[in-house]
Amino acid sequence: MKTIDCRKMTCPMPVVTVKKALEESPGQALTVLLDDGPPRENVARFAVNRGFTIEETPLDDGYAILISGSAGEAIAIRKEKGGETVMLIASDMLGEGSEELGRLLLKNFVNTLVEVAETPDRMLFVNTGVFLTTEGSEVLEALEKLGNRGVEIASCGVCLDFFNLRDKLRSGTVTNMFTIAESLLKARSVIRL
Amino acid sequence: MINDGDYVAVFNNVHRVMKAEKILKEKRLNILLIPAPRALKSDCGLAIRYCLADRPVIEALLGEAGLLPEEIYRKQGEEFIRIDAPGA
Repeated sequence: MKTIDCRKMTCPMPVVTVKKALEESPGQALTVLLDDGPPRENVARFAVNRGFTIEETPLDDGYAILISGSAGEAIAIRKEKGGETVMLIASDMLGEGSEELGRLLLKNFVNTLVEVAETPDRMLFVNTGVFLTTEGSEVLEALEKLGNRGVEIASCGVCLDFFNLRDKLRSGTVTNMFTIAESLLKARSVIRL
Repeated sequence: MINDGDYVAVFNNVHRVMKAEKILKEKRLNILLIPAPRALKSDCGLAIRYCLADRPVIEALLGEAGLLPEEIYRKQGEEFIRIDAPGA
């Protein structure tokens, strides 16, 4: 059985790491070492919401969570059927026409994603979309919640550089065009905003 | 997006909620434009979230601007408790 140590990681990295490990070894039980508090709570919630069984054991330093159950098979089947749902956010607006309305609609859309049961597997932010993942964005709280539910959030590095925002990234990771292209091509469905 | 004890001001008009958000943001108040919770009826589906500490100043500013929300609620557990808007 695999064990991964997610102690000393800040949210949402524990959930992101656990999600990746479960996808790499579907059907296999996994032990995760976590700090108490939000990392432990978020990973436990993520696993239970996805149908896994969890068993928590206190350690001298943190907690061990054993994640097992048939949900691993569901992940395997889903992977075989062809990949993820990827959301491409290519602008800081939703729709065309009024810019003011477009920005409000996109903000409201991301905040609404938190309230619905279905989430994308990955959200890729390109061009002015990176304004949503960087300092001053009004959806950082929503992105943090989505990250804690296992949604991978990634921003285009070239776009961050173009807008001088690389050191202002506040949600998710920096990605490149290879990863973006592969994610889109391997996806089961792509939702472009 | 709504924590226990948060206040939710529901507006029934997109122009009113956009104006209200602008005024409150200009004053650097800690508010968030959110989708109106499904449990609450709203024509435009938008609401503004704020906390108890900011409530007096927020509602005073909205009152001065003639932008008092149609309804105000407080999240309590899983429920939304209707609160009367000031001057209502």
